[in-house]
Amino acid sequence: MAGVSTFMGLQTSLRGLIAAQEALDTTSHNIANASTVGYSRQEVDLSASRALQIVTGSSDGTGTAELGTGVDLDGVSRARDKFLDLQYRAQAMRLGGLSATVQTMESIEGALAEPGENGISKQLQTFWSDWEGLANDPEDSAARQAVVEAGKALATSLGELNAQLTGAKQVAEAEIAAIAGSGGEVEQKAKEIALLNGAIRSATTSGSEPNDLLDQRDLLLDELSALGQVSVAEKADGTVEVGFGGAAEPLVSGTEVDWPQTVTEPKGKLGALIELTSAGGTIESLRTELDGFAEGLANSVNEIHTKAGGLAFFTYTAGEGAATLAVAVNAAEVQTAADGSSGGNEIATAIGALRGGAVDRSYAAFVTRIGAEMKTAQAGETNAQALLNTVAERRESASGVSLDEEMTKLQSFQRGYEASARAMTALDEALDVLITRTGRVGL
Amino acid sequence: MTMRITEGMTSRTVLQDLTANKAKLTKTQREISSGERITKPSDDPFGTGRTLQLSGELEGFSQYKENVNDGVGWVTATETALNQISQLTQRARELLVQGGNDSNGQVAREGIAAEIEALTEGVKQEANVTYDDRYIFAGTETETRPYELGANDEYRGNEGSIVRAIGTGVSVGVNVNIKEILGEGAGAGDNKLLDVLRDVATDLRGGTEENSENLRGTDLERLSANLDELTRVRAVVGATTNRLENASTRLEQLEESSLTQLTKVRDVDMSEALVHYSTEQNAYEAALKAASTIIQPSLLDFLK
Repeated sequence: MAGVSTFMGLQTSLRGLIAAQEALDTTSHNIANASTVGYSRQEVDLSASRALQIVTGSSDGTGTAELGTGVDLDGVSRARDKFLDLQYRAQAMRLGGLSATVQTMESIEGALAEPGENGISKQLQTFWSDWEGLANDPEDSAARQAVVEAGKALATSLGELNAQLTGAKQVAEAEIAAIAGSGGEVEQKAKEIALLNGAIRSATTSGSEPNDLLDQRDLLLDELSALGQVSVAEKADGTVEVGFGGAAEPLVSGTEVDWPQTVTEPKGKLGALIELTSAGGTIESLRTELDGFAEGLANSVNEIHTKAGGLAFFTYTAGEGAATLAVAVNAAEVQTAADGSSGGNEIATAIGALRGGAVDRSYAAFVTRIGAEMKTAQAGETNAQALLNTVAERRESASGVSLDEEMTKLQSFQRGYEASARAMTALDEALDVLITRTGRVGL
Repeated sequence: MTMRITEGMTSRTVLQDLTANKAKLTKTQREISSGERITKPSDDPFGTGRTLQLSGELEGFSQYKENVNDGVGWVTATETALNQISQLTQRARELLVQGGNDSNGQVAREGIAAEIEALTEGVKQEANVTYDDRYIFAGTETETRPYELGANDEYRGNEGSIVRAIGTGVSVGVNVNIKEILGEGAGAGDNKLLDVLRDVATDLRGGTEENSENLRGTDLERLSANLDELTRVRAVVGATTNRLENASTRLEQLEESSLTQLTKVRDVDMSEALVHYSTEQNAYEAALKAASTIIQPSLLDFLK
């Protein structure tokens, strides 16, 4: 019979002690990180260590048996579902885009101050009323002055609204630069991912699984996908190759970062901001619509005002109507009568009668459009948020730390540790009999 | 596999619910305190468009009402003046009948002629009447006195018309072309009131048989014709007054109906909002209570 070491049992107990110790450490690590963003719970992978083959049968020595040698720690793995990560990033990208749109549209909607006493619609109505008031009192210079002042107030408000639109565009452009520019958010995150790639590669080649580093890298990828479209390819050495926004070259490859690049399909927050600010984008088209309204107003009023040979009431630069609209006449030059008489009021009446016409409607359409776009974006944002929450919930269910669970494990590993220690004590006592008492018969 | 529920999930769900409940509650609170359902375009884009349109209509109606009031003032002044001119003409006709009677001597006729001339001045003074510092019978030359007093009967105004817009695309003329009634006196020979009155005075002073016949014949006829014309014009002005009064009533009704619509579109139904508010408040309080109790217990509370 092949011999088995006398102390093998001690060794087996020791393995049990070590395994329980590692498991307790991992459980503590989980508990400590219960609230850490992006943390995935970790589990020790235990397996029975390789058995010892022993020969059985005292007579012929042909039988063999496997003698268990205890437990082995294979590694520590993290609970992570890569499929849920993909879903999460897709929703984060959608939400990032819609939130940026809502934020920008919110500032534009606020600038409108509609419906209310301070909006342009109210001033437009006052303008028409002042013309009708002038029609009742064409001889009155105060009524003429009122028309000029109402026109100026309207022009000023249009200029201000136009400036607000320009301001919203500039804010969005600054944000684009802060995200995608040199040294911006994308590059910053890419550099961190590249650094982690390096650390993960060395850990992987030395055979260990760097769970916490992987968590950190996944969190960065989550954050990056809110900014734009991210594609991730895992390499054999543990690094990831990250593509961003449809750029030609990978953003991160190994430990290299290639940024800035031209994005062809940015999506996410970056995509929404580019769509808002680009030539022909939302803000520009709103400004064009506002210019159209300002020019329509000026043309309608001027057409009537110049009928009897008077000056144009408004002037503007074509294509920049809202920014350049101005009242071009003084009170004395305001026209009321078709025949130049002091009491005639045909012109003033005709201008007053523009109320409720195409000019009013084009402004109402402008306001309605902003409201509708805002509402759509808001609904989209709410929806994306709900979907993201659902995915986050499922991911949390797979990867999150449950204190109940950890407590249960803590109990069982603690007991395991105690039991291994007890086994060791039992063996020790057996050996004590062998070593100190055997062969002392009659002594 | 059943879903694992972690502490993180519980607290996040509670937080999300709290935020959502709070947001709803705040929105209803704002609706109740402002009384308006639409405070920004995205609350209801098409309702906002409608609100702007209805507010514009309302502003228009109130302006039309002002126009009507101004028109009524103008027409009333016109009516009063024409009434006066009518009475003066009536008196002139009585004097004419009296003067045409042969029993009157030339001295008496001279006296009547003087009275007729005074009446003529009276008619011209009525034609120079103002409303709100404007000559109402001068066409659109409202700052020019239509007739100079004295012998010159030339009309100085124009024949322009003054209109008031009293509704969308509806306007009404409020002035009367006085030249059509008074004319420009003897020099013009237009058979209008001033021409006839001047002729009457001339015939009264003339004293010839032909003058007497004129007085009894053509002068009387022509003056009567002018009286008829005055009556006709006064009827037209009366009709304008009626039209303005009707317009005023109609505008009140339209204003009422637009306001009702605006209220429906823009304003909060208070009883509904208050019911929502108390429901949402209950939900919020329940969520708060849940947050304070649900998060607490875990295995930690029971292990020693």
